[in-house]
Amino acid sequence: MKKIHIYILAVTLAFSACKLDNLEKPAAGLSGKFIDAQTNELVQQDIIRGTQIELKEHGYDPVSSQFLVVKTDGTYENSMLFANTYTIQPVRGNFIAVEPQEFKISPGSTLDFKVVPYIRIREASITKTGNKIVATFKIQQNIISNVKKIGLYAHVDSRVGEPMRQAATERELNAVTDANQVYTLEIDLPSNSAVLKPGNQYYFRIGALIDASEAKLNYAPAVRITI
Amino acid sequence: MITKKTGILVVILALIGFSCSKSDTDNANGGGDPGPPQIPVKEIVYDETGCLYTSYNNLVMAGYQGWFAAQGDDSNRSWYHYRNDCGFQPGCAAVDFWPDMAEYSKKYISPFSFANGNAAYLYSPYDEESVDLHFKWMKDYGIDGVFMQRFVVEVKDSNPAGKGHFNKVLANALKAAKKYSRAIGVMYDLSGCTSQDMAALEKDWAEIQAEFRLFDNVANPTYIRHNKKPLLTIWGTGFNDNRKYSIADVQQTVSRLKGPEKKVSIMLGVPYYWRTLNNDTENSPLLHALIKQADIIMPWAVGRYNADNYNQTAGTVLAGDIQWCANNNITYVPLVFPGFSWGNLKKDPSVYNSIPRGQGNFLWKQVAGAKISGAKSLYVAMFDEIDEGTAIFKALRENEVPLNGSGKFTGIENNLQSDYYLWLTGQAANWFHNTGNYSAVKPIRP
Repeated sequence: MKKIHIYILAVTLAFSACKLDNLEKPAAGLSGKFIDAQTNELVQQDIIRGTQIELKEHGYDPVSSQFLVVKTDGTYENSMLFANTYTIQPVRGNFIAVEPQEFKISPGSTLDFKVVPYIRIREASITKTGNKIVATFKIQQNIISNVKKIGLYAHVDSRVGEPMRQAATERELNAVTDANQVYTLEIDLPSNSAVLKPGNQYYFRIGALIDASEAKLNYAPAVRITI
Repeated sequence: MITKKTGILVVILALIGFSCSKSDTDNANGGGDPGPPQIPVKEIVYDETGCLYTSYNNLVMAGYQGWFAAQGDDSNRSWYHYRNDCGFQPGCAAVDFWPDMAEYSKKYISPFSFANGNAAYLYSPYDEESVDLHFKWMKDYGIDGVFMQRFVVEVKDSNPAGKGHFNKVLANALKAAKKYSRAIGVMYDLSGCTSQDMAALEKDWAEIQAEFRLFDNVANPTYIRHNKKPLLTIWGTGFNDNRKYSIADVQQTVSRLKGPEKKVSIMLGVPYYWRTLNNDTENSPLLHALIKQADIIMPWAVGRYNADNYNQTAGTVLAGDIQWCANNNITYVPLVFPGFSWGNLKKDPSVYNSIPRGQGNFLWKQVAGAKISGAKSLYVAMFDEIDEGTAIFKALRENEVPLNGSGKFTGIENNLQSDYYLWLTGQAANWFHNTGNYSAVKPIRP
């Protein structure tokens, strides 16, 4: 009799276990782009501490938010989500606030965000001139806040940015900028030779930060230069 | 072949389907008691022939308190709103600024004197002449018009003195608005209200509509309209300062005021952080539902920033607000104010000029900020508010004000003319009318 009980218990446990094991793995996914509403270009981001997309899955109360990280080029992708309806909102971005929206995520869903970046880096140029990397650019700001700082960042990885750099030159502006002014930033190579080694390839990227709560830097695309 | 299990499943599904679809069938086919046939209510169409202000777009309008009374005027309210709870005599007043009385034809000797011993005078908006002068100034300086403040607690039936006062001031203002072709609107302020007071608002609104023929395009051709309806403003919903009425109360009031015929357009005065539902704003999504029911919103910005932190505070707020409103087809009217001072009202010398005017630089910074961010119109707080020192009308300079016992009165900057803030607001109106050449740099007065 005892044996039978154990047998029943084992079978019950096995079924319970099977039930858990049989849960479908997340098979849905969401991908998309952050597109500048005016230029239709991708809005460049930081990989570290950059824009995130907050997802709140419907049907759970309370619900914990999930956050998707946006890539440096302004695209994002996550293929491990449960199919469901979500409330989706980009947060802590480098563009004018976007409202939350309801969206049904299924396998291969795409959702692009048309946004207005706080700052556009225009007419950007990064070149090696003598022993220096010289960046010139203009700033178009799309909100009235001060531009806090501008920077030129260098890293061996293409995801270079303010939080991911081996060398940098930054300048505090703390002012509303003139759209016609050309800004110049330089990185001196000999004085950074410990991290920027001659003959190697590095990525350089221009960034600018608006002075607003939780704002992230806006960037021009990274440029690869052999120094 | 259908197994036993499958058969049971089919039956269950059928039952679910049956139970789920019943109500739908009723609605679609008129099963059960359908009630009387619904006749669609027709939206009201107003005759706007001759109306001068059919939209708030491109206008710069101010708030008009009109709440002062003078001892000796016919309101019998003594020095109402000039006085503080300690009275109205040197050392005790509710106002920080002193009106420049040079052009008033009717004035009252006050208990205050200037340093040279001359008596200081004040005006009463209960007098037609004084309100007429204010509207003349609006025309002279190119300011489009004003919203007449009506505090619901002041115009309730239980407050006949208040109701009489505000009706007389409104009558004066409507007459002057017509004479000088200035826009005019009514703005109810819910401060101090309870849920029950919403009925008083609706009653008062019905009364003044009838008494003053507010919607009559001939009687009041300058009453402001928006979205083809007369505009009514309700100020004070969504604030998280423990008010004794709720967003739901206001929502029901708005629904009734509009009615199925959509009788009026509504502008809502909301807190500054209405979109993000934080800081000064109740964290309730119902506020957004209410805003979507309205036509215009005007967020209250007084005290939310000063000249030093304006750009940082307002930059993302303005941009985000304007985008939200555009997405939801709501007109967005940012508020600007010249400065703030309420040392006498609060009996606290530390809050004289607590937000300095900075020679008009602070006001212009906001004007430019709003315009550059994409706003189409402005609300200026306020035309005649001297309790909180936000007035733009002609006021005495700092070195001209009467003595105030151990305290003081503040004034506008000594190097400016007493009409400077009227002039600067008129420049803002030019810019919003898209005339003249303006930028973030404050215009220089010729």
